[in-house]
Amino acid sequence: MKKLNLLLYLAMFATVIGVFSACSKDDDDDDNNNNNNTSGIVVTTNISQNTTWTTGNVYVLAGRITVLSGATLNIQPGVIIKGQAGTGANATALLIARGGKLMAEGTADQPIIFTSVADEIVPGQIESPNLDPDIDGLWGGLIVLGNASISASNENGDVNEVQIEGIPTSDPNGLYGGNNDEDNSGVLKYISIRHGGTNIGSGNEINGLTLGGVGSNTIVENIEVVANQDDGVEWFGGTVNVKNLLVWNVNDDAIDTDQSWGGTLDNFIVVAPGGHNYELDGPEGSFERGHTIQNGTVVCSDTEYERSSGDLINVDDNSIVALKNIYFTGIEEGQQINRVTAAGVSFEGIELNVPAGDLANYVNGEVPAGVTAGGSPKANAGVFGWTWASNAGKLAGL
Amino acid sequence: MRKIIWLLLILGMGLQTMAQKGKIRGTVYEEATGESLVGVTVFLTGTTIGTTTDLDGKFSIDADPGSYQAQISYISFQTILINDVQVKAGEVTMLENLVLKEVSLELSEVVVSAEVIRRTESALLTIKKKSAVILDGISSSKIKLTGDATAVEAAKRVTGVSVEDGKYVYVRGLGDRYSKTMLNQVDIPGLDPDRNSLQMDIFPTNLIDNIFVSKNYTADMPADFTGGMLNIETKDFPEEKSISVSLGLTYNPSMHFNSDWLTYEGGSTDMLGFDDGTRALPARAGKDNIPTPISGASDQEVFDFVTSFDSQLAAKQKTSFMDYSMGISMGNQIDLGKKKGDPAKKRKLGYVFSLSYKTDTKFYDEVIFGEYQRYIDPNLYEMRYATIQTGQLGEQNVLLGALGGLAYKTDHSKIRLTLMHLQNGESRAGKFYIVNDGEAVGQSGYRASSDNIEYNQRSLTNGLLNGLHLWPTTGWEIDWRISPTYSTSNDPDIRKTAFTYQPLDTLFSGGAGGNPSRIWRSLEELNNTSKIDLSKKHELMKRDARLKFGLSHIYKQRDYEILFFDMQFFGTQSWTNPDPAHVLDAENIYPNKPNSIYYQSGNRNPNPNTYASNINNFAAYISEEFNPLPKLKTIVGVRIEYYVQKHTGRDQTYASGDIINGKNLDNDKVLESTDLFPSVNLIYALSDEQNLRISYSRTIARPSFKELSFAQIIDPISNRIFNGSLFTYSGWDGNLTETRINNFDIRWEWYLPAGQMYSVSGFYKTFDNPIELVRIPEQQTSTEYQPRNVGDGQLYGVELEFRKDLSFIAIALNKLSVNGNLTLVKSSIDMTDTEYNSRKTYEKAGESIENNRVMAGQSPFVVNAGITYSDPDHGLDAGVFYNVKGTTLSIVGAGLFPDIYADPFNSLNFSLNKRFGKDKRTMIDFKVSNLLNEKVVSHYRSYEAEDQVYSSLNPGISVGLGVSYQF
Repeated sequence: MKKLNLLLYLAMFATVIGVFSACSKDDDDDDNNNNNNTSGIVVTTNISQNTTWTTGNVYVLAGRITVLSGATLNIQPGVIIKGQAGTGANATALLIARGGKLMAEGTADQPIIFTSVADEIVPGQIESPNLDPDIDGLWGGLIVLGNASISASNENGDVNEVQIEGIPTSDPNGLYGGNNDEDNSGVLKYISIRHGGTNIGSGNEINGLTLGGVGSNTIVENIEVVANQDDGVEWFGGTVNVKNLLVWNVNDDAIDTDQSWGGTLDNFIVVAPGGHNYELDGPEGSFERGHTIQNGTVVCSDTEYERSSGDLINVDDNSIVALKNIYFTGIEEGQQINRVTAAGVSFEGIELNVPAGDLANYVNGEVPAGVTAGGSPKANAGVFGWTWASNAGKLAGL
Repeated sequence: MRKIIWLLLILGMGLQTMAQKGKIRGTVYEEATGESLVGVTVFLTGTTIGTTTDLDGKFSIDADPGSYQAQISYISFQTILINDVQVKAGEVTMLENLVLKEVSLELSEVVVSAEVIRRTESALLTIKKKSAVILDGISSSKIKLTGDATAVEAAKRVTGVSVEDGKYVYVRGLGDRYSKTMLNQVDIPGLDPDRNSLQMDIFPTNLIDNIFVSKNYTADMPADFTGGMLNIETKDFPEEKSISVSLGLTYNPSMHFNSDWLTYEGGSTDMLGFDDGTRALPARAGKDNIPTPISGASDQEVFDFVTSFDSQLAAKQKTSFMDYSMGISMGNQIDLGKKKGDPAKKRKLGYVFSLSYKTDTKFYDEVIFGEYQRYIDPNLYEMRYATIQTGQLGEQNVLLGALGGLAYKTDHSKIRLTLMHLQNGESRAGKFYIVNDGEAVGQSGYRASSDNIEYNQRSLTNGLLNGLHLWPTTGWEIDWRISPTYSTSNDPDIRKTAFTYQPLDTLFSGGAGGNPSRIWRSLEELNNTSKIDLSKKHELMKRDARLKFGLSHIYKQRDYEILFFDMQFFGTQSWTNPDPAHVLDAENIYPNKPNSIYYQSGNRNPNPNTYASNINNFAAYISEEFNPLPKLKTIVGVRIEYYVQKHTGRDQTYASGDIINGKNLDNDKVLESTDLFPSVNLIYALSDEQNLRISYSRTIARPSFKELSFAQIIDPISNRIFNGSLFTYSGWDGNLTETRINNFDIRWEWYLPAGQMYSVSGFYKTFDNPIELVRIPEQQTSTEYQPRNVGDGQLYGVELEFRKDLSFIAIALNKLSVNGNLTLVKSSIDMTDTEYNSRKTYEKAGESIENNRVMAGQSPFVVNAGITYSDPDHGLDAGVFYNVKGTTLSIVGAGLFPDIYADPFNSLNFSLNKRFGKDKRTMIDFKVSNLLNEKVVSHYRSYEAEDQVYSSLNPGISVGLGVSYQF
C-alpha cells in the first residue's frame, strides 16, 4: 500500500513538472529582415577604395554603408540610391567617415536622389510615382563626418571628437570632429534626400543630412530634404557653409545646429516641419563660435498634409547665432520665438506674417527690434525649380 | 480542477495512520569535529531495543508507547543517558543535537533530560565552532523556533548578511558580483540571468535543512568565491512524518485595494506565472520580410499583420488586491526493514514534497527616475537635469514552486534525487510624465507621457542526483553529484508608447519621446554540474587527519535573442484623441489615414542582438586537514581550474553586411585560463569555548555571459544601453579579463551555553583587475555603459557579532535575547587614468579629487540587530529586527555624469508566531514590514551640490498574517 502511494505521488510530481515546462516553450522565431524590391545594385560592404556609382543606375544600401577614411565615393548625376527598410540596428544609411570623401555632383536636370527601396522612382524622374511626400522613416539618411573643430565636452571635459547620434558607439566610424577647419569631405550638389530618418531609440535618430565636424572646403549646395522622420539638416560643429537648402515635411526640426557650427546657411525654404523650424543650440564645450542663418522663407503650417511646426525659433540661453532676413508665414496661434533674451542671438530683418497688433503674441518675451510684423518672402525660390517640392507646387507664391 | 484532485490525493495519502508503535529518532555529532558520527550505539535501557547510527549520524528506533531512558554510547566517547524519553503511539519523538565528547577522566557519563535536548541549538553551534571555515548559519530547528516562512527571512538572521529587493542575499556588503549562492552545494543559475545570486524568497523553510554562509574559502569549493558563499541544503530525510498546509495574507495600505493601481490585460494563465501565448510574437513577425506598405504586401496583409499584435498599449487603472500565499508540504521517512541475510543493514526511504504559490501586488505612486549632469564650470556646483520621469508603477508577481525529493539509504550508503521547478511571472504597467531639458548636453528638449507595459516570465528546473558512500573501517568516503538545470527568462512584448507634446500637436516624435516600440527578449540556459569528492581519514603526526580530493566539471550554455519592432506611420500623423488605449484602433492602421500605422523590423539577419555562449570549467583539488599541534587544526589545499568561455555573436558592422571589417565569432574562445587557488586555514583552540582562526586564499571573479559578448541591450524605460565588453573603443581594447582576489581573514570567537556567543573578525582582500560598469564617454545623446576592467582594488573590514540572553540582568528575562552584528568595510579602487582625468576636468572649486575611490557595490557598513522573545513552552516567539546597509556607490559616474549612490534603507520589521492547540499543530504568524515607512532611493551626488534623485520607490508598510497547520 505504501509503495503504491509513493509511485502515485511520484507520477503526480512528474506531471506537475511536465505541465509547467510544457507551457513555457515559445515558437522558433527566425530573424526578419526586410529585403524587398531590391532591383538595383546592392551594396553590402563598406567602401574602402575609390568607387564610382554611375549615371542611369540604382544602388541599394543593404546596411549602414561607410565610405572609410582615405576612400572617395563618386556618385554621378542622376544616380538613385535606395536604402533598405529597417529600424534600430537594422537601419540603413550612407556614412562618410572622417577622411573619406563624397563627390556627389548632381545637376538641376539630373539630381542625385536618396530614397527608400519602397520608392518606385527610376532615373530621370523627380517625383516619386508611389510614395507621398509625407511618408517618413523608411530608411536612415546621409551622414557626412569630418575633422573640423566642434565645441563638445564629455566626462573628459572638452573633447575634439565625439560619436554622431544615430550610430551606436560600437561603430568607431561614427566619430567626428578634429582641428582642421579647412577639411574637405567632398562636394554635395543637387541632392534630394527623402523618406528617411528611421528610429534608433528615443531621441536618437538619423537626420536627412547630418553634417558632423565638416570643414569649410566641403561644398554643400542645392539640397532638398523631404519627409525625414528626424531633423531635416543637423550641423554638429564644423565650418561648412550651405547654400540653397529646402526642407519639406520633416517630422522633427527643420534646421538644427549644435556644438558651435561656424558656417553660414544662405538662401533656404522650410515648409511645415513637425518639430521646431529652428532648433539652434549653443556650444557644449568651452570653445565658442557662432553661425549665420540668412535669407530664408519659412512656411509654418500646411493644410494639405495637416502639419504645423513647433516653435518659430528655438534657441538656448548660450546659443550664438545671427538670424538675418527671414520671413515666416502660415503662422498659427501658439507658435512663438523662444528665449529672445539669449545674449548671443541677434535678430535682423525677421518678419512675421501676422497683424502688427498681434506680434507680441508670437514672441515669448519682449519683441526684439529686429522682429517685425508683415513682410514678404526672403528666399530666392527660383533656384529650387529642380526640387520635388517645386514640382509639387509647394513653392507657389514664395 | 486537476490540481484540486492531486491536492486531495496527496492529503488523503498522508492521513493514513501509522502502526501502534512509536518512534525515537535523532542525530549524533562528534564534539571535536562537529561532524556526524557513524556507528554510534543507541539503546533503550532495560530493553533489547537498539540500533546504530547511519552515515548521516542518524538513528531510528521503534518502541511501544511509554517512557524510556535512552543510552547513546560509542567507544572512547562519553556515554549520554537521556531520561524521560516519551514514546507515543504513531508518533516520532525527536532527540536532535546529541553531541558526544571524547572520554575524559572526570566524566564517562552525562545525564540529561529529553526536554533539555529538545530545546538546544547546540549541534549547529558545534558545527560552526569546529568547522574548517568561518561559517555562520541557521538550522531547521532554529527556523522552526522563529517561524520564518522563506529562506530569505531566515537568512537575514545570519551574521554579515544583507537582503536586497527582499530576495537577494549579499554577504559582508559586497555586491552581487562577489556573492555566490548554491543549492545543495551545486552551482545553479538564478531566475535573473543578470545576477550571480539566487533569488531566495522562493524556498519555503519547511524544506530547508539548513542555510550556511561560508566566509572563507577551502579548496573543495568553486573558486569563483569572494565575499561569501551561501548554501541552502534541502531536507532529504524528514525526522517525522509531516504534512503541513499554510495560508498567508499581506496587506499594504498604500498598495492594496487601491483603485489607482496600474495593470493590463494578460493571458488566462498569468495567475500561474506564465503567459498562455497572449503575448507571443505573432507567427508572421518571426519570418523574413514582414508585411509593410513597402514590402510588396497587399494593404490587407499589412492591416492583418498589424492587427495580429495585441492591441493593448495602455496601462489601465484597476483596484488592486492583497498579497496572498499558500503552500503545502509533506515528507516522511519509511523504514524498509533489514535486508535478508544481512541483518545489520537497515534500509530507509525518505521523501519530501512541496508546492507553494504566492502573488504579490505592488503599486508605487510617485516613482521618480532622473538623469542628471554636472556643469564643467568649477563654480557651478548644482547639477542640472537632462531627463526626469515621474509617474506610477503597478506590478503583479506570481511565484510558483514545486520541489520533490526522494532518498534511499542503508547504513553506509545514501542516494538521493531532488527535483525542483520554479515558475515566476511578473507583469508591470506604468505611466510616466517625461521632461527632457534641451539645455543639457546632448539633449534635444521635449515633454512626453509614456505608457509602459511589460511581462517577465522566468522558470527554472533543476535536478540533483547525489550519492554518498562510506567505508567506516577504512575511513574512505565518496560523495558524487550530478545536477542539470534548465532555465529560461523571457520578456514577451515589452511595449512603450510615448506621446510627445508639441505646442500645437500631440504626436509620436522619433526625435523626442520616440515612436511606440515592442520588444521580445528570450534567454535559455542549460547548466550541468558533475562532481566527485573523496576523503580518507588517516593519522598524521599521530593525530586524526583527513585527506580530501576531488574533481568537478561545470558546463553552462546560454542562448539569447532580442527582437525589436518599431511602430511607423505611413504619412502624416494626426491624433484627435492622443490616448494610448486607442492608438491601435482599426481606423489608425494602414492603409487608413491619417496615422497609417505599420511595423518596421529592427532585426537584421544575422541579428547582432542574438548570441550564444558557453563555458566549461574543469577543476581538481586536494586538501589535507590535520592537527600539527593538539589545539591547532590546519587545512591546507590547492585547487586548479581550467576555464574556457566561448561566444557566438557578431558586431553591428558584421551584421549590417560588412563581413570584411565586421567581427563575427563562431563559438570562438573569449576567455581561457588555468589558475591555481591555494588556501590555508588555521584554527587554534584557545580554550574549549574560544577559537582563533586565521586564513588565506586566492579566488577569482569571472565576467558573465552578457558582459563578455557583443550584446547591445536597450532598456526601454530608462533608455540606457548596455554594450558587451567585446566592442573596442579608443580607451578600451575589448579584452575583458577575470578579477583575481587574495583573501585574508582572522577571527576570534567565544561560544557560551544556550546558544550565546561573541565573535570579532577582521578581513582584507585585494582585487586584481576588478570589473565595473563604465559609462561610454563618446556618446552623449543616449546613455551607454560597458563593463570594463578598472584599476586595482582592495578592501578591509571588521565584523562583530554577539548573541546574548538577558538572564544576566534578571533571571526572568532569560526568554529575551538580543543579537546583533555589525560589519564595517573600507574599500578603495585605483581609478584608471581616463576616470581620474575626467573627474579632474570637472573638479569644482574647493574640491580635491584623488586617484582612488570606493568600490562600486560595496557598502561601508551592514548592521543587523534583533531582540527576540522565545517561549517554546507556550509556543510563542516574537521579535523586532533591524537591518541596514550604508550608503553605497551603485553606478560610477565621473565627469559630466555624477556618481549614483544607493541610500541606506532602514528596515525595521516585527514578527510574532504563536502555536496553538493540542500538540501545537496550528501556528499563526503575524508580521509588520518596513515599520519606519522608508523609501528605496538612489541619489546623484556631486561636490557641494544638492543630491538629486536617480530613482525613488516607496514600498510602504505592510502587515501580514499567516496560518499553518501541521497534520
